[in-house]
Amino acid sequence: MRLMNMLSAAALAVALLSAPAALAMEQAEQVKLLATIDDRQRNGGDYKAMVYLEQKEKGKADLVYELVVYRRDADDKLMMLFTKPKAEAGKGYLRLDKNLWNYDPNVGRWERRTERERIAGTDSRRADFDESRLAEEFDPSYEGEAKLGKYTAHVLNLKVKPNVDVAYPVLKLWVDKESGNILKQEEYALSGRKMRTALYPRWKKMFSESKKDNVWVPEEMRIYDEVEKGNSTTILIKTVDLRPLEANLFTKAWLESKSR
Amino acid sequence: MGHFRLLLQVAFRNLFTSKINLLIGGIIFFGTLLVVVGGALMDSMDSAMSRSIIGSIAGHIQVYSDDSKDPLALYGSMSGEPDLAALDDFSQLKPFLEKHPNVRTVVPLGTSSAIITSGNTVDLTLSRLRELYKTRDDAGETPALRENIDSVKGHVRQMVELMAAQTAKSEQELGGGANKDPAEVEALARARTDAFWDTFEQDPYGALELLENRIAPQIPDGDMLELRYAGTDLDAFQRTFDRMEIVDGQAVPTGQRGMLLSKLFYEEFLKLKSALRMDHIKQQRELNQKTIATDPELQRWVKENQTQTREIIFQLDPLKTREMVSRLQKLLGTQEAGLEPLLTRFFTLDDDNFDTRYAQFYAELAPLLELYRLRMGDTLTITAFTRTGYMQSANVKVYGTYQFKGLEKSAMAGALSLMDLMSFRDLYGYLTADKKAELAAIQKQSGLTALNREQAEEALFGEDSGVLVAEAASTDIDDRAAFLGAEETLKRDDLLQRVYSQQEIEQGVALSAAVMLKDPEQLEQTMAELRQAAKDAGLKLRVVSWQEAAGIIGQFVLLGKLVLYFAVFIIFVVALVIINNAMMMATLQRVREVGTMRAIGAQRSFVLGMVLVETLVLGLVFGAAGSLVGSGFMAWLHSTGIPAGNEALYFFFSGPRLFPSLSASNLVAAFVIVLGVSAISTLYPAFLATRVSPLQAMQTDE
Repeated sequence: MRLMNMLSAAALAVALLSAPAALAMEQAEQVKLLATIDDRQRNGGDYKAMVYLEQKEKGKADLVYELVVYRRDADDKLMMLFTKPKAEAGKGYLRLDKNLWNYDPNVGRWERRTERERIAGTDSRRADFDESRLAEEFDPSYEGEAKLGKYTAHVLNLKVKPNVDVAYPVLKLWVDKESGNILKQEEYALSGRKMRTALYPRWKKMFSESKKDNVWVPEEMRIYDEVEKGNSTTILIKTVDLRPLEANLFTKAWLESKSR
Repeated sequence: MGHFRLLLQVAFRNLFTSKINLLIGGIIFFGTLLVVVGGALMDSMDSAMSRSIIGSIAGHIQVYSDDSKDPLALYGSMSGEPDLAALDDFSQLKPFLEKHPNVRTVVPLGTSSAIITSGNTVDLTLSRLRELYKTRDDAGETPALRENIDSVKGHVRQMVELMAAQTAKSEQELGGGANKDPAEVEALARARTDAFWDTFEQDPYGALELLENRIAPQIPDGDMLELRYAGTDLDAFQRTFDRMEIVDGQAVPTGQRGMLLSKLFYEEFLKLKSALRMDHIKQQRELNQKTIATDPELQRWVKENQTQTREIIFQLDPLKTREMVSRLQKLLGTQEAGLEPLLTRFFTLDDDNFDTRYAQFYAELAPLLELYRLRMGDTLTITAFTRTGYMQSANVKVYGTYQFKGLEKSAMAGALSLMDLMSFRDLYGYLTADKKAELAAIQKQSGLTALNREQAEEALFGEDSGVLVAEAASTDIDDRAAFLGAEETLKRDDLLQRVYSQQEIEQGVALSAAVMLKDPEQLEQTMAELRQAAKDAGLKLRVVSWQEAAGIIGQFVLLGKLVLYFAVFIIFVVALVIINNAMMMATLQRVREVGTMRAIGAQRSFVLGMVLVETLVLGLVFGAAGSLVGSGFMAWLHSTGIPAGNEALYFFFSGPRLFPSLSASNLVAAFVIVLGVSAISTLYPAFLATRVSPLQAMQTDE
């Protein structure tokens, strides 16, 4: 009886000690989860995507664009170039180091913009088009598991690391437990005010020659403005081209040369 | 008749015999004086204000689309830019309005606002350098261009040195560069090396990118300004609106794109801040008699000039810096070698040295400085939200500055710059049928269905949603289309040179039409007739007077008038009460006299007549005296003018001085009013007088 008591006490102790481990995720594991999300979306070489961008605002006509997004993930470079509508063609953004430059061929001028720039007047931000850098920019904490529609998701709270400039310093992520893709992302200001909610209902998986592995692409992003209720942006990544790009593509001179 | 003569005799006999009559006469005298002078001043101000607004931009009548959501507000309203529907084609509206016999001219207008941004000083200098290299690539190097490139390069190198010095200084003050990004420190160190500058020419664009991306962001960002402008046919505008005058530069050449900045905007927002603060101090000292010793605002400006010297230091190239140092050394009689401490010393101002320093600043220092961020002939990049929601930028050449006479100091009128109609239309971005179809096609091609926030999560992640991950393959993307548009917009330099025909200017969108009349007296009638004509022609137009169109300024004029009318009304009420009381006293004093007259047979009507005629005679005599003195006073004011002591008066006077004039109507009105008031205030005392019975009068003790 005494032995039985001891055994059951030991079993209880083991169960109690292991319970938090089963529920929570180790800090290292959380970082690893973020790193995996980042890594899956990163292509070792270059990346070019044809993107449709749409903004809906209450009481206003919709804004629609088509643009080409160029990325060189190896050295953190990004360029976005608008192709449609005709009046917008040739306008673009170029990210060099920590600068986000805006270029308008109508006036031939470069202007430095911030991380909070509303890309082409929509609710999207630079980070929505860029390489995923969650592990590099944020510190995670685990909140638990939750159902999101038919999916079971890990819910993580992310806080920006010191001296990193991002559009929103606090994020809440729903990551699909099964496939490891982000399903939903809520973005908060430092004050705790909810600013945007982004939903990622469709992902594309494709093999990359340069990476020698699969690359995951969020095919559809639905972004809802939580401050100006009723405003929303949708980003559709229509096609992706993983072939190498011109070497000097990510320079001001290159973009200017195209409008000469 | 004999009866009336008798009454007049009595009245004249009594005119100066009673002290009370003198008191009443005095009140009537001052009352008339006030009405004559006040009325004439009010009329003069009213006509001055009206002239300012009519002659500035409003015209007599404004016509705009009846589909507009907001009323027209040419000077803007509290809630920003009014939401107006466009007049699709001004060239159709113009002949329609000109058909009316009283219409002299019609001018197209459209107001809007936009943002102008500029990078920081380093950004601006670097983009100048980039332009120079591009010119070299296109047209080859000339000795003049080489010299120019070297001079700007020297300037940039000096800026880098200044930034390093400032970083070192702030590190010293704050103790260690704890928060400094190592990449920034490294970049700054690299940009200071001789090696960097020696190899600059081998890859100028590479070197520029380092400076633009790593160095320039290290100093705070540049400015963002809001610019309000009116797009118009600039030639017709200048011919029609006589209050507009060019201050600096020149008019925009006929038919060309270009802009005239408001003088007030140019001074307040584009002038070197240190110089602007000097101007403000001077104005406050002279106009409002403030002193640096007692006024905290003036002290703040002095302090800002002492500490905020960077704007000056950064804009000087090495050569000018040396010159500035030597001039300051001479002026201050010191051997100090640093420009920053020299400037701080120079800007240490008090009431004794201000006038000298002010003169020295403009005579000695200003010639070395760019006093304005924008020179006449420079191009300004303007970015606006178009009607369709897309952003649109345009380069517009600034030819000069202008002001509206009489509204020079009005912050609202001074916020408005003038732009040619072609640039205005580019920035306005009218949604044509073609554009609409293009947008619809792009949207349709996306195959996207709209989902609102409430239904989104269920639709996208619920049981009926599709698969989360799909297999795909890398597809070749042909991005040549991305540059086709860019090639089409290459004409930007040609656009600035192009001369547009009158037909091109008039054919297209405008937001309103300003109408000048031949006979302004028939304003109301003409408006009614134009409304009827529009109705008959099936045009949905709103026709409003200048006062309505001027929005907040129009209301301000109305308010000003109401305040003046109210003041005059109060004066009359007071006069009425005083005259009434005085007459009561006068009547009561004369109870015995009236009683005696009644006893010897005077009728009640005779007594009533006596009192009334007496007051009327009083009113006539003293009223005439008041009018005479008032007219003399107005004649004097008309020749000397009244100075506007502050900005509000400047607006009411429509200029630095008001030269009021007196019209016959002012005199007649004053006379009628004064006589009316005296008659009304006498009615009750006169009625009391008729109630006096002889018995009652005889029983009264002396």
